[in-house]
Amino acid sequence: MRVEKKVEKYAKRRGWKVKARTEDGILYLEGEVPSYKEYVEIGRYAGKQKNVEGVVNRLKYKGKKEEKRKEGRNEIIGEADVVIIGGGVTGCMIARELSKYKLDIILVEKAEDVACGATKANNAMVHTGIGEKMGTLKQKLCVEGHKMYEELSKQLDFPYEKNGMWIILTKDSFADMPIPSFLGNFIARFIIPRIILRRAKKLGIPMYIVKRKELLKEEPNVTSRALVAVYSPTYGVTSPYLFTIALAENAIDNGVKIMLETEVVDMITEGGEVKEVVTDKGRIKARYVINAAGIYADKVAEMAEAREYTIHPKKGSTLIFDKDYGNYIKHSMTILKFPRTEHYKGGGAMLTLERNIQLGPTLMEVEDREDTSVKAAEIEQIFSHFSLLLPDLPRKGVIAYFAGLRAATFTEDFIIRRAKKVRNFIHVAGIQSPGLAAAPAVAKMVVGLLKESGLEMVEKEDFNPYRKANVVIRELSIEERKKMVEKDARYGKIVCRCEGVTEGEIVDAIHGKIGATNIDAIKRRTRAGMGRCQGSFCLPHVAKIISRETGIPLEKIKKNGNGSNLFVGKAKCLLEEKNEN
Amino acid sequence: MKTDVAVIGGGPAGLAAAMEAKKHAKVTLIERNEELGGILQQCIHHGFGNFIFGEALTGPEYAEHFIEALEGVDVLLNTTVLEIDKNKRMLLSGPDGVFEMEAKAIILAMGCRERTRTQIFIPGTRPAGVYTAGTAQRLINIEGVMPGKHIVILGSGDVGLIMARRLTLEGAKVEGVYEIMPKPGGLTRNIVQCLHDFDIPLHLSHTVVEIVGKKRLEGVFVAKVDKNFKPIEETKRFVPCDTLILAVGLIPENELTKKTGIELDSVTAGPVVDEGMETSMEGIFACGNVVHVHDLVDDVSLSAIIAGREAAKHANGEKTERRKIKVKAGENVRYVVPQIINGRDMEEITFYFRVKNEMRNVVTRLIVDGEVRKEKRELIVKPPEMVRLKVKGELVKNANSISIEVKKVA
Repeated sequence: MRVEKKVEKYAKRRGWKVKARTEDGILYLEGEVPSYKEYVEIGRYAGKQKNVEGVVNRLKYKGKKEEKRKEGRNEIIGEADVVIIGGGVTGCMIARELSKYKLDIILVEKAEDVACGATKANNAMVHTGIGEKMGTLKQKLCVEGHKMYEELSKQLDFPYEKNGMWIILTKDSFADMPIPSFLGNFIARFIIPRIILRRAKKLGIPMYIVKRKELLKEEPNVTSRALVAVYSPTYGVTSPYLFTIALAENAIDNGVKIMLETEVVDMITEGGEVKEVVTDKGRIKARYVINAAGIYADKVAEMAEAREYTIHPKKGSTLIFDKDYGNYIKHSMTILKFPRTEHYKGGGAMLTLERNIQLGPTLMEVEDREDTSVKAAEIEQIFSHFSLLLPDLPRKGVIAYFAGLRAATFTEDFIIRRAKKVRNFIHVAGIQSPGLAAAPAVAKMVVGLLKESGLEMVEKEDFNPYRKANVVIRELSIEERKKMVEKDARYGKIVCRCEGVTEGEIVDAIHGKIGATNIDAIKRRTRAGMGRCQGSFCLPHVAKIISRETGIPLEKIKKNGNGSNLFVGKAKCLLEEKNEN
Repeated sequence: MKTDVAVIGGGPAGLAAAMEAKKHAKVTLIERNEELGGILQQCIHHGFGNFIFGEALTGPEYAEHFIEALEGVDVLLNTTVLEIDKNKRMLLSGPDGVFEMEAKAIILAMGCRERTRTQIFIPGTRPAGVYTAGTAQRLINIEGVMPGKHIVILGSGDVGLIMARRLTLEGAKVEGVYEIMPKPGGLTRNIVQCLHDFDIPLHLSHTVVEIVGKKRLEGVFVAKVDKNFKPIEETKRFVPCDTLILAVGLIPENELTKKTGIELDSVTAGPVVDEGMETSMEGIFACGNVVHVHDLVDDVSLSAIIAGREAAKHANGEKTERRKIKVKAGENVRYVVPQIINGRDMEEITFYFRVKNEMRNVVTRLIVDGEVRKEKRELIVKPPEMVRLKVKGELVKNANSISIEVKKVA
């Protein structure tokens, strides 16, 4: 049966009016379904069909919000060989990769900083590729990207460690399957580890089986219901925002122009080509456009008349624990549970570089592309699910929680290709996990696509692959610390007591290549406010330092972007307001 | 650098400890902020010092009494203690450098910090406009900025009540104070003076169940809670506001204590101390909110005076008894400080404790070696209010078993 008919039949059986149409491998859905839930359901069904390269879901449903596009500004603000849309890890990695060539490059980002979307809200794992579906593009790029991290971290001076990962099978692994428990335990102990090892061998990922006894000796806080583990020594962890900032800074050094708080609102196309990218700050003439817009990639593609997919956000929420529990586990770990949830690795207890345990992420379809709220039910779900792994990890250890949105398409795999009908537009869409690990390989692939589409790429002789990070005082030896304070007394004054961040480091962040002029930007660069008091003590101090260094009045300092003002004015401002009325 | 007594923290506890210790020894006072006084400097309301000075002072006035008495004490500002080792050598970081300091005795007086929205698991987003009460107080009273216009306060402890009044006086509209417990957490005088006098509603058995807002807070969902403090779904309603103030408890700040390897009490979250405020590590003392969270600053100062005196004695080489008799928390007692009696020569010892449940018409009792040695009538005891029992030192000096209990008067 043809794909369109199959999808229409699926809908009809459920009483929904859906019309499906295929063009160039893209499946377009039109009609109406009762609610967002069904909208997602049929989109996913359509995405699973053979030879579908993308699903554009135009179905209506009750309560669907009509979008208003922001107004663009008319003046020309730039001209570039390549315009990259999106300053997440993917966009910045592409910018840095392309900066090796003699090209004029502009990267536009709607937020006030790079790394503000899914990049800042993922769990920092540099996956090896073992957890991905075999044969997918994302797996291929993940395996390749993972191998490039070591070199990159040396060049760009961002933190990266191979801390390793346990994949753990327990008596609960098959508890939800309709098979007797002895059989489930047998499969968990003897069959699954061997399947994993076989895959690892195929992918060239070093892994080995660890018996229960050894596992519990190494990780005494892991559940005693554990049966066996497969250990992956090369599993990596980085800081996704420090990595992205490093990429952006190095790209700037090599001539890339980064325009923050610049939102793409339209594109001017002519004869199957994008001519100009229209933003809320003005128009940019572009020879090539790369769409790395993450959660908004489908909207941006639509502006270029190259809509070949629809993004349906999948939220992931994560709990972060106090670093007091940093030695509670030695390595990151995950529990394998069957049946597997589709397109979800299952999360785990993941250690950050600073040895904060992260529990999560969850998986939840949400309609709102800005909904990064963590719900009470998600918190409970995390505790109940991961108590199967670490039954005694106490609730009181949690210091923060956050959510990020995965930019999933209905076909689920990465979509990295030239647009079907627009000659100079390249999709880098559907980038969800393992997008961080894959980013270096994604960028290489984009170089290939640009060459294919006719862009002449000549390597620069003077490309500088190196970038130096700002000093991190708490990581220095006492002797080095002493020297730093002698140089500048501000490296002696500790502003964030929980994380040991000094005034000097905050000042460095403010005057960095991408200057941090709000609380969250400082936090990502220095960790001030990331500890157990969550900024209660340091917020007033950090705000004052920003104000002093930038000249922005204290009462105008923001938490992050526009609209996030920390204060309503100077003290007494409300009384004065009242007097005037 | 060398000193006799190093005091870590220049808030109310550290000030009083330094003032006392300097009478007998060379003292260095180390403060991480740019001025002395700690939280007192932002507490511009009055009500401090009723016990010690017999008058109601403002926070800065109270601090000034001690700061004036510090002559001869070496004060290091903007300086943080990074580490303490077992030989009482400290590593300090400040504008003058990163340097070692050796002390004969150390007094821990780091105070406490506020619980955050995460520690009580309020779900939702992470917008601007969510502040702990102490931060909001600092913003207004010290930094001179206004945190918000329409305020919801969670927690009816004294800090929350004081902030309700303060924000109202600054022209903000306090939509209400929400308290998860069926009874208010703060002192009765504060309920009257801070809420009733300003017509601010107090919603008991209510809590904030979700924070809403993307960039700046747009409002909160509140709900009534059942007996087990679980929110009742049907009572959930939205309260628009741009600011949420959290006054949901304080935690002794013992990062340094823990790192040093000093024994902590799991109930108070502070170090275990004896009647001279000495911790499990010889020569390291602790006082004030780092030991347990106090209701009144006067009690903080009193505990600090003991610590200052005993630390100076230690620095001067005086030997003390170490009998290590545990003070048991008996009937309806959640914890007692001091937790240990070592048999020091002390004229008086005050036991500070909190009860588990509210009770009327009770006696609080000291029981030594199975006998009631001291009794005090109390009209009412309740968990938010600290109870004191002052006894003569000789009563417990040679005791082999000690406990404190609260009993209903027959």
